[in-house]
Amino acid sequence: MKPSSDRALCALQNGLVRTASFLVPAGQRSDWRREWHAELWHVRHSFCEGGALSWPAQREITTFCLGSLQDAVCLRRESRPSREPAPRISGAAAQCILRLSTLLAVCVVIARLLPGVQAERDPSRYQVSPGVILIQTSSSNDRFAPAISARMFRDWKATRQRYFDQFAFYRTVRETASLPSRRAGWSVSHASLNLFSLLGLPVSFAALTAEDLPALILSHESWRRDFAADPDVAGRIIRVGNRTARIAGVMPYGSWRLPEEPNAWLLEPDSQLATGMSEGGLGYLIAHLSQRGQAAMQGECVSITVRAADPEGPEFYGVSFGNRLQGPRGIFEFAIILALLALPAVTSVTLGESNYSSHRPSRKRTLIRWAFLAAKFLLVAAIGYFASLDLAYWNASTYSPLAEFAQLTWCFSICLFGFRWALSDQRQRCPVCLRRVTHPARVGLASRTFLGWNGTEMMCMGGHTLLHVPSLPTSWFNGQRWLYLDNSWDFLFADSGAW
Amino acid sequence: MAADAKLSHTAALILQAISAGFVYGFSIMEMTGLPSGTVYPAMRRLERDDLIRSQWEKQSIADAEQRPPRKYYRLTAAGKTTLEASRKRYPLLERLISTEEAKSL
Repeated sequence: MKPSSDRALCALQNGLVRTASFLVPAGQRSDWRREWHAELWHVRHSFCEGGALSWPAQREITTFCLGSLQDAVCLRRESRPSREPAPRISGAAAQCILRLSTLLAVCVVIARLLPGVQAERDPSRYQVSPGVILIQTSSSNDRFAPAISARMFRDWKATRQRYFDQFAFYRTVRETASLPSRRAGWSVSHASLNLFSLLGLPVSFAALTAEDLPALILSHESWRRDFAADPDVAGRIIRVGNRTARIAGVMPYGSWRLPEEPNAWLLEPDSQLATGMSEGGLGYLIAHLSQRGQAAMQGECVSITVRAADPEGPEFYGVSFGNRLQGPRGIFEFAIILALLALPAVTSVTLGESNYSSHRPSRKRTLIRWAFLAAKFLLVAAIGYFASLDLAYWNASTYSPLAEFAQLTWCFSICLFGFRWALSDQRQRCPVCLRRVTHPARVGLASRTFLGWNGTEMMCMGGHTLLHVPSLPTSWFNGQRWLYLDNSWDFLFADSGAW
Repeated sequence: MAADAKLSHTAALILQAISAGFVYGFSIMEMTGLPSGTVYPAMRRLERDDLIRSQWEKQSIADAEQRPPRKYYRLTAAGKTTLEASRKRYPLLERLISTEEAKSL
């Protein structure tokens, strides 16, 4: 070997020892360095009998120097203040939390990208003013079916009311709209002028002149589809059915939660409301409760007495929009309660902590174990919330009863099976270090169930516990049991710290 | 450390080597065939548990031989007792490194 490369390797080996020495605690460093340099000198000397060193010799010396790193690490570990050999809350538990967190992050990102979810998560977009209810008749089975005629609306509005101080009306019909490029069949809601102000929805109108045409509010979907999301659409005149109307605004995305999903709302004075439509056609009557009316509300309904000429006529009641406007959070809370109630039906809710040895984990370990379980439950619930929203609004661009039902179903399923997984996972984690027990071994014979137990035995790789799970629960061994191992088992396990 | 403490085979081998007269790290490596990354940390632990004791060679001796001084290790009383117990546990230990072998070197 050339002297230059010999010198370079020598410098490298010295550098290795010197670098390793920085791992050694300062108080022992000089002594340690002195010993290793002395040993290195002797190692080199033993290989250097004929002058220059050969490549294999240099390799041997370098390998020797690499051992200094292990020695330094060992000394560093030894020098730490002695404490109870803390079982590592190892990777397994942290990895579990990390995986759940990653899944949650993915669900949150997807939720942020879906417009339906964004609209759903902002209650200010769709909440109506407090005290606003829908008037219905008892003759209809469907609470949200059209039940009131325009004439009845005018009659109610003209008479003095005890329970209500404002009324609004809308009725949806199918009409042809003359769009710039084509004619389209639209669902058009003929609504009283005060509909949106009564509801308190965030719809802004363009200013209209006194002698102007009826105002037309486009749905967000129609605005995007039929007007290519034209920002200057306000003020344009189109023909809807046999009326000419001026577009006055666009309904914000996801704001309309009331029954029917019209393409547009045509706002008309009460006198013109039924013109062109059959007087008997039914629509929706929205009312605002007076203080007396609010006091008379029982739950979500209020019974209404009408002095009508026809004593055989239908009875009326008011129903609040609470369910339709509760938003995803209310559904989520309901799904969580359902899942928790159903949980005992799909898995045992005990954690199988009973032990038959005298040892028990410290209070701190027990606390960590419970915190780990709580973290899993919280993460599963959060995943259930966001994942159910993602799945429900993947195709649905806005609120619909179907999307709401899908959210409830998904959220319930994810939470139920997620909680089930969290419990069964917890049952198989060592109470000391939270590692999952491994290496299942069959113990006993099934044919000797009444003579001795048979089942599966698993062990914690940290050497803390053995888990016994009976294959056939008996009156004397009906659940899994932990057996805590004492220090005499340490030498069998890599993590035990024995040497 | 209790005298009847159970040593691993590696630790017992190193104790036996020191007892046989291989009193510094590199000679123990050569004798046992163990790498430096095993021998030196094991000696630290043995010293921590008072089974062996280290001592620097006198500078004058090293100077006379024109080499750096070495750190020598020797067994303590507890180390000797533990080694005796380990020899019973690992009967081949003495055959692997006999005291005569060291004396002959």
